[in-house]
Amino acid sequence: MPSNITIEQPPAMNSSKAQRASLIRKDPALFSALIAIWLSLAIFIFLPLVRLLAATFIVNGTLSFANLSKILSKAYNVRAFYNSLILAMAVSAAGTLIGYLFALAITRTNWPKPLKWLLSAITILPLISPPFTSSISLTLALGPNGMLLKALGLGQLNFYGFWGTWISETLTYFPVAFMVLTAILTTMDANLDDAALSLGASRWRMFGTVTVPLSMPGIANAILLLFGSSLADFATPLILGGHTFPVLPTQAYLQITGLYDLKGGSGLSFLLLVPALLVYLFQRSLVGKRSYVTITGKTGARSQFSHLPHALEIAVGAVSIFISAFILYLYFIILWGSFVKIWSVNNTFTLDHFIYVFSHGRKAITDTLKIAVVSTVVGSLLAVVIGYVIQRKKFAGRRVLEFSSMLNYALPGTVVGIAYILAFNEKPILLTGTMTILVAAYVFRYYATGIRSVIASLQQVDPALEEASLSLGASSTRTFFNVTVPLIIPAVLAGMRYLFIHCMTAISATIFLVSVRWTLLTTRILESMTELQFSQASAFSIVLIVLVFIADALMLWLMRLSTRKFGTTQETLYDNTGA
Amino acid sequence: MTTPALELVDVTKIFQKDKEKVKAVDSVSLSVSKGEMVIFLGPSGCGKTTTLRMIAGFELPTSGRITIDGAEMTNVPVNKRGIGFVFQNYALFPHMSVFNNVAYGLRSRGESDSIIQGKVKDALALVGLANAGNRYPNQLSGGEQQRVALARVLVMEPKLLLMDEPLSNLDAKLRIYMRTEIRRIQKKLGITCLYVTHDQAEALTMADRIMVMNKGRVEQVGAPYDLYSQPQSLFVADFIGQANILKVPVTGIHGETVQAAMPGGWVLSARATIPERIEPGKNASLVIRPENVLVVSKAQKEGHLPARVMSAIFMGSHIEYHLDLGNMGSLIAFSSFKPGMHIFNEDDEVSVVLDSAVSMFLPA
Ligand SMILES: Nc1ncnc2c1ncn2[C@@H]1O[C@H](COP(=O)(O)OP(=O)(O)OP(=O)(O)O)[C@@H](O)[C@H]1O
Ligand SMILES: [Mg+2]
Repeated sequence: MPSNITIEQPPAMNSSKAQRASLIRKDPALFSALIAIWLSLAIFIFLPLVRLLAATFIVNGTLSFANLSKILSKAYNVRAFYNSLILAMAVSAAGTLIGYLFALAITRTNWPKPLKWLLSAITILPLISPPFTSSISLTLALGPNGMLLKALGLGQLNFYGFWGTWISETLTYFPVAFMVLTAILTTMDANLDDAALSLGASRWRMFGTVTVPLSMPGIANAILLLFGSSLADFATPLILGGHTFPVLPTQAYLQITGLYDLKGGSGLSFLLLVPALLVYLFQRSLVGKRSYVTITGKTGARSQFSHLPHALEIAVGAVSIFISAFILYLYFIILWGSFVKIWSVNNTFTLDHFIYVFSHGRKAITDTLKIAVVSTVVGSLLAVVIGYVIQRKKFAGRRVLEFSSMLNYALPGTVVGIAYILAFNEKPILLTGTMTILVAAYVFRYYATGIRSVIASLQQVDPALEEASLSLGASSTRTFFNVTVPLIIPAVLAGMRYLFIHCMTAISATIFLVSVRWTLLTTRILESMTELQFSQASAFSIVLIVLVFIADALMLWLMRLSTRKFGTTQETLYDNTGA
Repeated sequence: MTTPALELVDVTKIFQKDKEKVKAVDSVSLSVSKGEMVIFLGPSGCGKTTTLRMIAGFELPTSGRITIDGAEMTNVPVNKRGIGFVFQNYALFPHMSVFNNVAYGLRSRGESDSIIQGKVKDALALVGLANAGNRYPNQLSGGEQQRVALARVLVMEPKLLLMDEPLSNLDAKLRIYMRTEIRRIQKKLGITCLYVTHDQAEALTMADRIMVMNKGRVEQVGAPYDLYSQPQSLFVADFIGQANILKVPVTGIHGETVQAAMPGGWVLSARATIPERIEPGKNASLVIRPENVLVVSKAQKEGHLPARVMSAIFMGSHIEYHLDLGNMGSLIAFSSFKPGMHIFNEDDEVSVVLDSAVSMFLPA
């Protein structure tokens, strides 16, 4: 669900030295918090970005486009740029369409409740799985010796390249569109449909003149979110793109890991950064605008029967059921693959792969969990502080702080990863090979959802509650911990849930940052894939998915508990999926 | 005999709510003639909206039949019924201008542009918004939105105009003004109209007939005056206007006249609306409006009931007395205010005189 956060207060006055001095005296806690926040942003967001720009634009100590033009002179790189955009367009179009059909199924039909529940539950699967889960199972299904190919009696099908990447990314990201569009379709006034029909419109006319136009803000939002996600996706094209279909993130990765060409990698990430940032800014301004959907007064009951045109309802049914079944099939394949000796060669049952995962892969499991837990705790604390400061305090540069704290989130993971190697590979801040660099990469990327949900929930907490506490003699620190924090706990938990899932499953930034000392489950999966150890990759994936499921169920349970105690929250906060 | 504009025959609606069945509308029958304005009145949750939505075709009845102009409509979809529905929240299309909102139905019907231009202009003029065509719903006040919603259905010249609490989102002043406005337009066009409200002043001032509903059932249908003076049930007596209800023992029944023993040993005779359901020797309910209760100085006479003033509230046009009748319970009386008149105080012992000509008996 998109969190529409626009802070409608006049920008703070230009600060002068005098004002700053008074801030120290007036609110010393805020002053020290701001210093700490800006310092950490300087180190973990600005420094890497500056190093990336420097690596791209500074040649032999002077400003120059030589590096960039060298990159652009290679046809292969230009193709990667072009491919990235085409792929993003195709994924956002297909993903939004499928997401819309699913959303219509949930909100505009009177199918049995259990079926609707099942459909929504299945769309959660791709959201909480590592981003390349569907790539792996598609490889197992449609790749060389693919299970589905055999079943259908098809021979070889070269699905590596555009088609495979496209299908896989669409399956991975359509749930984001589904969530955005379900939200908008549910809040749309049910009486509008009724009004159109009672004015004699046919169902198609009603759908075309009322439902679709009013969904437009959500559709545009979904398209942009999916465009950004596909642009940033790194794992899927790495597995499925092959040599014929280079895209920018994989090119940048290969440039650095294969050729040790940091300058080339930086330049390529810069090419990726520009469209990604544009799409992000466009999407934020769109979400900030008020949409049409405003509900006035008491709304009537929704009619008990479906208003969709019959043909459309059949299409919605066919697509949503087929795709759900396909997703289940893909998960089944991974499960199956993890239990057979050698994929499609020797199908005898074995536990060998799991034994391998729990022996040789144990370090990856414990490292991943440690890093995820630490990142979640640190990230959500930081999110509470930053969100609170932005929503409740007045100071110079508040909006700048809001934007820059979420900058890493707007950038593709590959860009962040490369920027981090550039920044932390040498003194004064030497962090390569440490846990800190991995935690920082996760925290400063994925705490953004936490910040947003904290801001959104603070907007709903009446400042009078805090004022009451202050007037009763509590200090501002005491008020913050005793009054504010309990009220925003559901929002914080929602942010933590998102953070944890991404720390467990994301790979695009951290692939550059893992080391012998600290390794991750996701990188082990990728290694297994590149070594064509499909069964091993499946077993690693299953373990990871199960871990995420358990953690997610735990978080959801905590959220429910806290919601019951403290009131409102937003359960679904996936407004972007950083791969 | 002309065919009724609308006929409901034993219409019932049962909702399946979780595992539980809710009988929202229970065998409602009603016949509405052409040009009539019938108002559904009743407490919250009594099934008014559900009945209206079944007439519109937004809900299907569980059983029963609905005909419009003699044509069977029970299973005809909304967009084929030729009805106009005004929603409580207006449901104006937010992405269309006022003109396009009003033109929407005509376009669905495939009218030519020149006809649409003319009709939309007329409809907007009718509701007093001739110049608002280019504005968008969110640039209109609540009252203006309400008029657009009305114009949007009137332009279709529907056989039936259905309105569900159309004025409930307006402020009190505007509500009173729009009442007469809607009634004026309805009479001018001679359109048959069904109107839902739970505001009895609205119902009494606008309706040709009122259908009072309670718990999904029809309590009584009739002209406002009849409902007020001849309620068929205690529910209607109490719901329309204010009513005092006293439980008294019946001593005799002669035709429509019922006699009851009063404290002090005298007998009160008054009309009964349904005498056949009253039995001598048992209690009946005596219904009397506050304005028909006279408060006088204490006297031990036939026709007088001893009472004590619990409170006296000056209301401008009248004084509202709350009176304690001892065993018989309590009463409210309105004494119209004339300067110089004697006003009783709290705890005064007084006598109450009931105007038996306008009192009536109902089954207990
Ligand atoms: N879609 C539905 N599903 C289940 N129960 C419903 C539904 N619509 C209405 N009901 C129930 O039917 C009963 C009648 O509802 P209805 O909306 O017709 O009442 P109403 O008279 O219009 O009340 P109000 O004055 O509050 O608008 C209520 O008990 C309500 O809870
Ligand atoms: Mg209602």
